[in-house]
Amino acid sequence: MEQDLKPCVFMATYSEFIQQNEERDGVRFSWNVWPSSRLEATRMVVPLGCLFTPLKERPDLPPVQYEPVLCSRPTCKAILNPLCQVDYRAKLWACNFCFQRNQFPPAYAGITEVNQPAELMQQFSTIEYIVQRGHANPLIFLYVVDTCLEEEDLQALKESLQMSLSLLPPDALVGLITFGRMVQVHELSCEGISKSYVFRGTKDLTAKQIQDMLGLTKPAVSVQQGRPLQHQEQPAISSRFLQPVHKIDMNLTDLLGELQRDPWPVPQGKRPLRSTGVALSIAVGLLEGTFPNTGARIMLFTGGPPTQGPGMVVGDELKTPIRSWHDIEKDNARHLKKAIKHYEALANRTAGNGHCIDIYACALDQTGLLEMKCCPNLTGGHMVMGDSFNTSLFKQTFQRVFNKDMNGEFRMAFGAVLDVKTSRELKISGAIGPCVSLNVKGPCVSENELGVGGTSQWKICSLDPSSTLGIYFEVVNQHNAPIPQGGRGAVQFVTQYQHSSTQKRLRVTTIARNWADAQSQLQHIEAAFDQEAAAVLMAQLAVYRAESEEGPDVLRWLDRQLIRLCQKFGQYNKDDPNSFRLSDSFSLYPQFMFHLRRSPFLQVFNNSPDESSYYRHHFARQDLTQSLIMIQPILYSYSFHGPPEPVLLDSSSILPDRILLMDSFFQIVIYLGETITQWRNAGYQDMPEYENFKHLLQAPLDDAQEILQSRFPMPRYINAEHGGSQARFLLSKVNPSQTHNNLYAWGQESGAPILTDDVSLQVFMDHLKKLAVSSAS
Amino acid sequence: MAELYVKPGNQNRGWNDPPQFSYGLQTQTGGNKRTLLTKRVAAPQQGNIQVPAPQSFVASAPPSMSPAFPIKPMGPPPSGHTPSPLRAETALRCPGPAQCECTVDIEDVVEPLKQVLTTCRDAVQKQVCDDISRRLAVLEDMWKSDKLSAPVKKRMSLLVQELKTQNWDAADEIHRSLMVDHVNEVSQWMVGVKRLIAEMRNLPTEMFVITEGDEVSKAQSAGNTET
Repeated sequence: MEQDLKPCVFMATYSEFIQQNEERDGVRFSWNVWPSSRLEATRMVVPLGCLFTPLKERPDLPPVQYEPVLCSRPTCKAILNPLCQVDYRAKLWACNFCFQRNQFPPAYAGITEVNQPAELMQQFSTIEYIVQRGHANPLIFLYVVDTCLEEEDLQALKESLQMSLSLLPPDALVGLITFGRMVQVHELSCEGISKSYVFRGTKDLTAKQIQDMLGLTKPAVSVQQGRPLQHQEQPAISSRFLQPVHKIDMNLTDLLGELQRDPWPVPQGKRPLRSTGVALSIAVGLLEGTFPNTGARIMLFTGGPPTQGPGMVVGDELKTPIRSWHDIEKDNARHLKKAIKHYEALANRTAGNGHCIDIYACALDQTGLLEMKCCPNLTGGHMVMGDSFNTSLFKQTFQRVFNKDMNGEFRMAFGAVLDVKTSRELKISGAIGPCVSLNVKGPCVSENELGVGGTSQWKICSLDPSSTLGIYFEVVNQHNAPIPQGGRGAVQFVTQYQHSSTQKRLRVTTIARNWADAQSQLQHIEAAFDQEAAAVLMAQLAVYRAESEEGPDVLRWLDRQLIRLCQKFGQYNKDDPNSFRLSDSFSLYPQFMFHLRRSPFLQVFNNSPDESSYYRHHFARQDLTQSLIMIQPILYSYSFHGPPEPVLLDSSSILPDRILLMDSFFQIVIYLGETITQWRNAGYQDMPEYENFKHLLQAPLDDAQEILQSRFPMPRYINAEHGGSQARFLLSKVNPSQTHNNLYAWGQESGAPILTDDVSLQVFMDHLKKLAVSSAS
Repeated sequence: MAELYVKPGNQNRGWNDPPQFSYGLQTQTGGNKRTLLTKRVAAPQQGNIQVPAPQSFVASAPPSMSPAFPIKPMGPPPSGHTPSPLRAETALRCPGPAQCECTVDIEDVVEPLKQVLTTCRDAVQKQVCDDISRRLAVLEDMWKSDKLSAPVKKRMSLLVQELKTQNWDAADEIHRSLMVDHVNEVSQWMVGVKRLIAEMRNLPTEMFVITEGDEVSKAQSAGNTET
């Protein structure tokens, strides 16, 4: 049964093996054959790591309704899986991580080779258990709404919030806090007049003070144990602020409908006073006191920067602009550190409570996402950035938060704990993603940290089926030690979470890979390299570093790694750049790095601090496919010459008789080449004899629509044409192989010259080859 | 049966605002296996980018097409076959919001709703019923003063039919699609209808005797003329 995981035996290629593993287990490893010693592993340059999607959508995998079987060694507690050796006669199983021999529980008395429980079957390398423990609490949605908005924006936001009441699960609890100069916590009652508690926006309050002032001093978890929650049994103490949607929808619809813009006058030359910091603090405190460790979303809707109180990002004087990258570099951003500290403290408390914070920020100027970013980043919440609440970008993105899967279940899960176990030759260096450390030390935790390290467990307060983490490992086997027993290393991912149906579930994924001696079997290791996973894992490390280090240092680090990788795996004669070759499994890697260097994740030029935070937020949580699109956008070409085809992301692909479709994740661009534009302007598409031209114009629109229909968050949609100003979105992304500097060298006009002094991929590759083959380095 | 349309985004308020998909389009994507545009080509390892075939790019000449296509001197697009887009199913042609000239009679919608409410009165709190009643009055008012668009009216008549046949899920789904697609028209009163659906769902089955034969046929014929 073990052979199934060995790619060479059953599958034609590694790419099939990689794809199958991703579909089945939600795992993509940088290396799929592992170097067997610590020393050799460090020489591979790209660390052993994987992109792991804990709740990867598996419609073909119904959860089982019993408890998992655990290894009895207290320091191990790995879960019974297909890799374990089983003695069916003695009813014993050996843990594949610690080799402990375990007795099967009594319920397993009937097992035989032909009568196996699901978790021992090969195809259940990923399995999900429904575990009945404790009582289920309804999901909680707490809206925190900025009222310092323009009339049009406030109206649109109110409608979106009213609409959302129809999308929420009917028994979910919902609450409302509004803020401007003051913060109002609204009491939701089914009858009579609605009341609210008003707080000053300038003074921070402790959780205790907030709870006292709101009268929430007793813990609310007084529900009968072990029974599903009945609506009538809602704990009374918090019900003034959080009520089930089905009870309160009519009154809340009216309450939302009656919301007015913040009544305090805003003098000329001033910004409105916006108490975002205190509003969030109250929201966190309210849930902390009433529903700790229950799936809850705090949803902040804001139309501008916090301008007063704790967490203030900019003063209310309009003549003082909000901080730019330039100000930050010059250490000239007055409120930055204090504000970050405030929001970090809130984010950590929220993560501790198992809740998450979403930020929906819609304004033309910056709103302080840089300062507030840790709120969604540490809690798994969403970050959405738009120009106005009255845009389809916001409205549809917000709707999609409540999307359902094929089984009609919400695509959101809460309060996950991800526990990673490794076989002895492997240790865990860390994780990067929407998580916080649970500080669980153990024998499989490495001292060398990459990302959030020093632990084998992380908490992910909110996640969906695409949420993905980068997890990094270290090979610890000594150089002279033989290839470890069994010839394979194993990793087990155990994700415990609250399903949107409020069930507690446990998903277990157990994978194994072959060890190989890097000196005698380097070609095996090389062939099993997953360059896409490697590119994303390296990019995540680089972006993680960029949050704390200077940009140029990060680029230098990335360059050094690339050169070392090329030295290690390129084929070349010393000091002869022309002889340099990379095998197929590495062929795309340098261009991924080239585009990553130019991406908004590492370049802050032309991006505001808020934009950088926004882009990085999404990069740190998307799955491999989406992350790779962010690194190197996809470019398809449509023409009369054949079916649509992928083309190089290069200025040479911009041709007069082509239509291009570019997907950079945040933007979808359709670009009409020069001739196509002329034809379109001449109206050929309206003539019946040129119906084919009409179809050609339509084809990329249809494909774009397909992307737009499913992406979260909704991307911007750009219709550009040759010579138009919007073409810049395409021109800034393609490799500038033709520029004003070298145009004439190409003789004939082909492709579109880009007016830039940026280095092209060709020049980049030439330098890379020189450095890689150089005997000096 | 849901409305399927795409309407342009709000370019006045957001730069390059994406188009807006109707609720029906958004929810139907869930199950479809889509063709993903995710392929890339590797740049050639050796030096230069490939310069495309030169004959296509002689300056100011008409575009060079494959000989099968008739070419006019000024370079119009070739006629003949065009490759279809990559998406799996035949492309959904999505017009703007449907312009149906249907005439749904207000009585066919509001009266049955009021009847349903009457059925609820015995089992549901008075205050809730009054609240629902108030919202039905708003609906009636907006309908009479012509503030509701044709798609809303039509979908409300469908909703009422589903209510009559006790298809609570279907009725609830129509309510949701109306909230998403037409929130500015329906937000004030729709929550009353939503609540009505929820209350009916909770009633013991023997309590509804609302469907008079002729009403059903009336509603159905109203529905038929529109489709």
